[in-house]
Amino acid sequence: MADVEMKPIDEAKKPSDEETKKEDESKAPKPVSPAAEIKSNVALIERAVSSLEPRFTHRVLRTLTALRKKLDERVLREAIESVYTHPDSQTKKTLLAWVPAASAGEQSMDVDSTPASAPAQKHGQQEPVPEGEIYLRLLILHYLLATPNTHKQAMELAHETVQRMQSLNRRSMDPIAAKVWYAVERTYELGGQLADARPLFLSAQRTASLRHDDETQASLINRLLRSYINYNLYDQADKLVSKTSFPASAGNPQFARYHYYLGRIKAVQLNYTAAHTNLQQAIRRAPLAKTAPGFYQAVHKLSVVVDLLMGEIPERSLFRQPVLEKALSGYFEIVKAVRMGSLSQFQSTLSKHAAAFEADKTYTLIVRLRQNVIKTGIRRLSLSYARISLRDICVKLHLDSEEDAEYIVGKAIRDGVIEGRIVHEKGWMECGSQKSGYGPEVSEVFTRRIQYCLELHNQSVKAMRYPLNAHRKELAAAENAREREKELAKDIYEGGGDFEDDGPDIGEGF
Amino acid sequence: MAPPQLVSLHKELQHAFNARPCDLQKCGLLLAKLKIGLIEAGLLVPLGDASLEDLVIARDVLEIGAFWSIRSRDIPSFDRYFSQLQTFYNDYSTQLPPSPREYPIRGLYLIRLLTQNRIADFHTTLESLPLAADSLTANPYIQHPVNLERWLMEGSYSKVWNAREEAPVEEYKFFVDSLMGTIRNEIASCEEAAYESLPMKDAGTLLFFNNQSELLSFAQQRGWQVNLTAGTITFAKKGEEKLEIPKERLITANLAIARELEQIV
Repeated sequence: MADVEMKPIDEAKKPSDEETKKEDESKAPKPVSPAAEIKSNVALIERAVSSLEPRFTHRVLRTLTALRKKLDERVLREAIESVYTHPDSQTKKTLLAWVPAASAGEQSMDVDSTPASAPAQKHGQQEPVPEGEIYLRLLILHYLLATPNTHKQAMELAHETVQRMQSLNRRSMDPIAAKVWYAVERTYELGGQLADARPLFLSAQRTASLRHDDETQASLINRLLRSYINYNLYDQADKLVSKTSFPASAGNPQFARYHYYLGRIKAVQLNYTAAHTNLQQAIRRAPLAKTAPGFYQAVHKLSVVVDLLMGEIPERSLFRQPVLEKALSGYFEIVKAVRMGSLSQFQSTLSKHAAAFEADKTYTLIVRLRQNVIKTGIRRLSLSYARISLRDICVKLHLDSEEDAEYIVGKAIRDGVIEGRIVHEKGWMECGSQKSGYGPEVSEVFTRRIQYCLELHNQSVKAMRYPLNAHRKELAAAENAREREKELAKDIYEGGGDFEDDGPDIGEGF
Repeated sequence: MAPPQLVSLHKELQHAFNARPCDLQKCGLLLAKLKIGLIEAGLLVPLGDASLEDLVIARDVLEIGAFWSIRSRDIPSFDRYFSQLQTFYNDYSTQLPPSPREYPIRGLYLIRLLTQNRIADFHTTLESLPLAADSLTANPYIQHPVNLERWLMEGSYSKVWNAREEAPVEEYKFFVDSLMGTIRNEIASCEEAAYESLPMKDAGTLLFFNNQSELLSFAQQRGWQVNLTAGTITFAKKGEEKLEIPKERLITANLAIARELEQIV
């Protein structure tokens, strides 16, 4: 589960339109070398710092995943060389020390092809902002993580980077810092020491929440949850969730993960309705299926199980999606067994796919489905028969004894699964008529849906962005309109009308 | 290194605990002394680098304490011992040699959650066991509560009843009584819903009562009408629930929607 789930979601930070253009090297007239891309990214970060506009940093970070695949030591070297033009810059030396030496031949071949030396002069001898340095460190870290034999180095670099980040303590660095924490976690996880990183994350999380550093906070809460859930420490995870508040301004990918973890915790605690809501959110906020198949599959696996536990049957079309078809095949068979209410089929499917479920960490949840299978079976029987003997129920549902059947049917009646009575003397079950499905609960469902739509509307209004100062113009226009209206009103008043001039409230919305 | 006094007390406790019959009062006194000793040595909640032998002693004391509290039927005290043991079981699992008493105690805790009907906690605890999910059933101490839970949820109460004698450890039986109480109440509520009337003999078997007087007092407790001459029990008929339209809720919901719409338009 570990790998597929997290990595792909990073691709959530998929580039928006402008970036796709840049990345799509085959189509673009002049291909941009990765080193040049890093360089322009660093420039963008600088712009973000100088203009106090984190948007540019976010844009840089969105390209991270695509860029990560193109990294090698040559690219990194080149990029560092071109960013730090000053020959004896201290930062440059430390950074270069982390990059493994490239073979000399390759280096000399490509030096000339760098198109990036011209804009470098613009900055003159000035040292670039520390954000740029951290960004480069992040890139190196990702590069070191790609191969397992540089893991030790990666760990050292991770520690140093975290220290550097904390000593610099700059708010404009927060978005990059959030990403660095992710890389730090990966480092620990690849080394199999995720538990050791927890104290580090916890203290960093406290600092982040004190500084209102939302991005880092969101990232760290997810790190911690992941670490707890990895070790099955649901109690601690639940306590963490109740003690922290997830920053509302966090990005969609972080939210998707957070909801996924919440869904998992809630499902373990038998709170299936809440788990269902969280997983729905995770699915909606997750990136497209094609960009992050791992996360998409993981969420759907859990969501199918939770649906079943709630007594709902997932739609068949779900299992036909190309991304999910293969990954969910085991779950599809379970769904079939539950739908049929056949205990024997359920058991055989369960044992057949046990290893897969175990790997997905859904095994214990699926085992809980057993009672649902029985309930569905009874429900089907009660729909098709007006009266059925307990002996037949026992045979049809593969129960062990008639005695069990009686208790089970009794429980089903009490739980409201079926309407009916047991006639003990004659040893049969009489099925009553179904309740009519029209009552106050219909309006409840309806209200819930309306509320969802309204919530969606409000959320999207909140999510809109407005360019700075753009409303000035409209304000002026509104001012003019107000003037005109006043005049009009005056005219009317003078003309003998008796209206009050309330002053139109056109401007109120701004 | 633990003070020698602690070690000797520990020996004494082991001795008192293993003696047949076990001297509960003496164990209690020794445990209280030992706990103070452990706190003084900084071992009750281990901090820093304690030596392995000391940790084993501390764990052993707590484990005996957990069993002792069950034998003396002090459930809250069992809870306390269990949560103190968590540190040893979870955080020191790689360093300490595994304890033979670990799974019995974990199993006992699971049963205790079942008797209180804390199913959510039961599952959370189950998930956090350091065992692979499909090997849960291979461990006799864990298998017992897991099976009990499954049967309870399904409604196979007779299986639960039959399994009560198959407890893997002596201490499990201490929970049987309260578990049976829970089951009886479950069955009774099922019967109320599922039957109109029942012959008394059958009701007795269904509720696992051996004699009539027990059944009668139970029936009285639940408010069932017992017809002694015909030998039947009639369950109090619940009046057909009148379908009421929740007017107030509907109005508030509609008003809220209207307000939202107003904001949009």
